[in-house]
Amino acid sequence: MPVWYEGIISEHKAVREACGIFDTSHMGRVYAEGPEVVKFLDYVDTNDIGALTDGKGVYGVMCKPDGGIVDDLIVYRQSTEKFLVVYNAGNRAKDFAWLQKNAKGFKVKLTDMSDKLGMIAIQGPKAAEVLAKISATDPGAIERFNVAPLKISGFDCLAARTGYTGEDGFEVFILDDPVVSPTKSLKVWNDLVAAGAKPCGLGARDSLRLEAGLWLYGNDIDETTNPVEAGLKWVVKMKKPSYFNGKRALEGIIEKGVSKTLVGIMLTERGIPRHGYEVYDGEKKIGVITSGGLAPTLDESIALAYLPPEYKEPGKEVQIKIRANLVKGKIVKHHPFYDESKYGWKRVKA
Amino acid sequence: MTDEVKVETGLYYTSEHEWAKPSGEVVIIGISDYAQSQLHEIVYVEPPKKDAVVAQGEAIGAVESVKAVSDFYSPVTGTVVEVNEVLMNSPEKINSDPYGEGWIAKVKPSNWDANVAKLMDAEKYKQHVSTLKH
Repeated sequence: MPVWYEGIISEHKAVREACGIFDTSHMGRVYAEGPEVVKFLDYVDTNDIGALTDGKGVYGVMCKPDGGIVDDLIVYRQSTEKFLVVYNAGNRAKDFAWLQKNAKGFKVKLTDMSDKLGMIAIQGPKAAEVLAKISATDPGAIERFNVAPLKISGFDCLAARTGYTGEDGFEVFILDDPVVSPTKSLKVWNDLVAAGAKPCGLGARDSLRLEAGLWLYGNDIDETTNPVEAGLKWVVKMKKPSYFNGKRALEGIIEKGVSKTLVGIMLTERGIPRHGYEVYDGEKKIGVITSGGLAPTLDESIALAYLPPEYKEPGKEVQIKIRANLVKGKIVKHHPFYDESKYGWKRVKA
Repeated sequence: MTDEVKVETGLYYTSEHEWAKPSGEVVIIGISDYAQSQLHEIVYVEPPKKDAVVAQGEAIGAVESVKAVSDFYSPVTGTVVEVNEVLMNSPEKINSDPYGEGWIAKVKPSNWDANVAKLMDAEKYKQHVSTLKH
């Protein structure tokens, strides 16, 4: 995926206002199958895999025993003994090795499908309408975070109502289409463009996910951060029946409280905050920005940063060191940064 | 890259893609067409401050796109006498007219002869850019 095709801002706006598509065929995709697949996935994933029914997916994280995040991922249940696991491109080798290592002792078979499936994300308030034009059945019938077989451009695909932009949309998996000669994916891509979708690059993918307050592995979460401080406690199901990797450590972290927490910042003065910039309260350095940039939809400069928990209240003033200057900002809600009555998937249904 | 990179003659360039243009008492400074095309969609400019004393090669500001930050190094030593305020609200002028409306600052030089000896003329800079293009 290039950084941009036409320009980050127009691609970003296409997704917020209509429909954009992303080539996400670099992502990690694994089939997990077998009689103990649920038990296994419940052991590696913090979310409640046992609660899924056929065709349902769930976002979660995999933790190390110390609670550090190995990766974030989506797990879809296709049938009782067959699941599709999707994780970050940058972690493909690490995650597959992690899954294999943890699969020991479980009756489960893991197949790395990353090079065997195409994958395209179709995102935006018009995503369902655009995808419907080239599908055999109505993709609009697929509910949020559900996955279902769908014939797209005549090819067998799986369509999941998910994405990484905050908007309504789909992530479609083009079956039996090897990455070395992705003829089916190219046809689907070209048909989507002809149906009105705008090709979007990595730049817009990043600015869209940041506005939506979605975590980027390597920036906002990594093996040294845990889901509690990252604001991901909602995907950690302490009460699910089985033990999972990191549970004991996370119990301790919840009991003791965290020393830092992920917050959203909006600048009130001119400047663009970036990954790695320091955050100050007067003279005192209080944290570091993990992701930042210009939010094209809001026309504001926004950032995510780990700060001590006493700074998490919206409205609190902080400063960001941008080159030689301390630039003022304030804490704002960040998941998402935008007003959900104006942008994002929730407003599409309404 | 589809478009030919424009290099204006009569200007002096740095290897970091700033340009300097003597104009009467002052030297006008900015970034080259190559630099703006690499950044694409410029969304923010942090110019040097008026009256600031700057040295050739010193980082005195920044030009930013959505995705990237590029430090702006002064091609000249002297005192900043004017900054292009238009860029505050219209940073895209650097994309559309890097050698004209997209100028960044005017500097009163203190040792222009020494500065210019370290800069490239248009011909040399063209060669420099051609080694970078793929």
